[in-house]
Amino acid sequence: MSASFEAEALASLDTLYRTALRLTRVPADAEDLVQDTYLKAFRAANQFEPGTNLKAWLFTILHNTARNRARDRARDTVTIDSETVDRAADVPPPGVAGVIETPESLLLRQTLAPELQAAMDALPGAFRQAVWLRDVEEFSYAEIARMLDIPIGTVMSRISRGRHLLFERLHHLRPVNA
Amino acid sequence: MPNCNAIDPLVTPYVDGELTGVDRDIVAEHARVCPPCHSRIAAEHAVRELIHARRDALACDAAPAALRARCRMAAHPDERAAPGRKGLRGLFRVLRSGNANSLQAVLAPYALAASLILIVSGAFVYQATDKSARVMAAELAADHVKCFAMNTMLSTHDEASAVQLSMVSRFGWNMHLPDEPSRAGLELVGARPCLYGEGRIAHIMYRHDGIPVSLFMLPNSSRSNEVVEVFGHEAAIWCVNNRTFVLVAREPRRDVERLASFIQASLR
Repeated sequence: MSASFEAEALASLDTLYRTALRLTRVPADAEDLVQDTYLKAFRAANQFEPGTNLKAWLFTILHNTARNRARDRARDTVTIDSETVDRAADVPPPGVAGVIETPESLLLRQTLAPELQAAMDALPGAFRQAVWLRDVEEFSYAEIARMLDIPIGTVMSRISRGRHLLFERLHHLRPVNA
Repeated sequence: MPNCNAIDPLVTPYVDGELTGVDRDIVAEHARVCPPCHSRIAAEHAVRELIHARRDALACDAAPAALRARCRMAAHPDERAAPGRKGLRGLFRVLRSGNANSLQAVLAPYALAASLILIVSGAFVYQATDKSARVMAAELAADHVKCFAMNTMLSTHDEASAVQLSMVSRFGWNMHLPDEPSRAGLELVGARPCLYGEGRIAHIMYRHDGIPVSLFMLPNSSRSNEVVEVFGHEAAIWCVNNRTFVLVAREPRRDVERLASFIQASLR
């Protein structure tokens, strides 16, 4: 393993830790997950294809590790019941028709980071993951699909559903008539 | 004009600016004439913009320094002084199997490898609070050995004030460590989170003339005072204000009792 690979991999530590925190919501679990990710990444360094996105590769390992761990422990930290999630994604977001005239951007511009963070943490895991990876970490649909091992269409529907759930929650906190 | 169902899968990529040419125009035109879809797109767009605007604040958590050190160590497994995680997993497999002989065999190298340190951490006890003193002591002895082994990699060192702060923030335990631990030959050193188990307890680690000593605090539990021997370790147990304290060390019983009395008398 080259020194530059090691340095470049470690440069993603903060962002991996943040994502692990959003996944697990427990700092000790997040640290454990990140450490495991690096152990696996360094052990498998020769499997990384130079020229591809190292950060995305590390995120893929992180999510695989989280998934395996959830399966092993049968503990619901990042457990994703794909069927439930995708069924939920099929249901049209309720209440949207009632806010047709809402100046959405203005409304949400008043939302502060802690409120937004709390709303994101309250999302079901699969939606939180998808929105976080897209809107905070700014990965492409294809990268997210590889990381989570789901089809691109499912990535988009989870992002969409996650954003709508956030909108409803934040909108509910700031009723239009208030 | 396409209906709303046909537009549906294009909405999110439209909001994300991933559509080009005809597809983008179709969605834009549909949104212009269909208020429900317009509203839906506006909501999704607003949330996306909001997250982007607050991105710096959302992404402000930095990885703890100890984690950084451990990850750096992960790149150089051969340089580790202590047994690795695989070895630790083996330890816990043996522990769960309840085979005392193999446990002793597994513990021995850890005791030798242990060095340094005082550690403050959220240690994990396998619901030890409901179990017999002996079972609890066995699980704490394993945590004691594991934490010292893990910390041979780190060389971290914490001041008493940092430990006290950590106790308040993690356990709501407003405490004051012994002012002069050196009077009992004790030295206080570093901090890191323990990685295994359920149920959190406080774990403060000392070194007594070079030998690892752990002080555990289990909140909201009480049991009778006693000293038990497990796997070559002595564990002194006592209670104060609905907190159970357990001092664990691989030292003669009289030394463990003496250290326990010192901590009990000087810990406030």
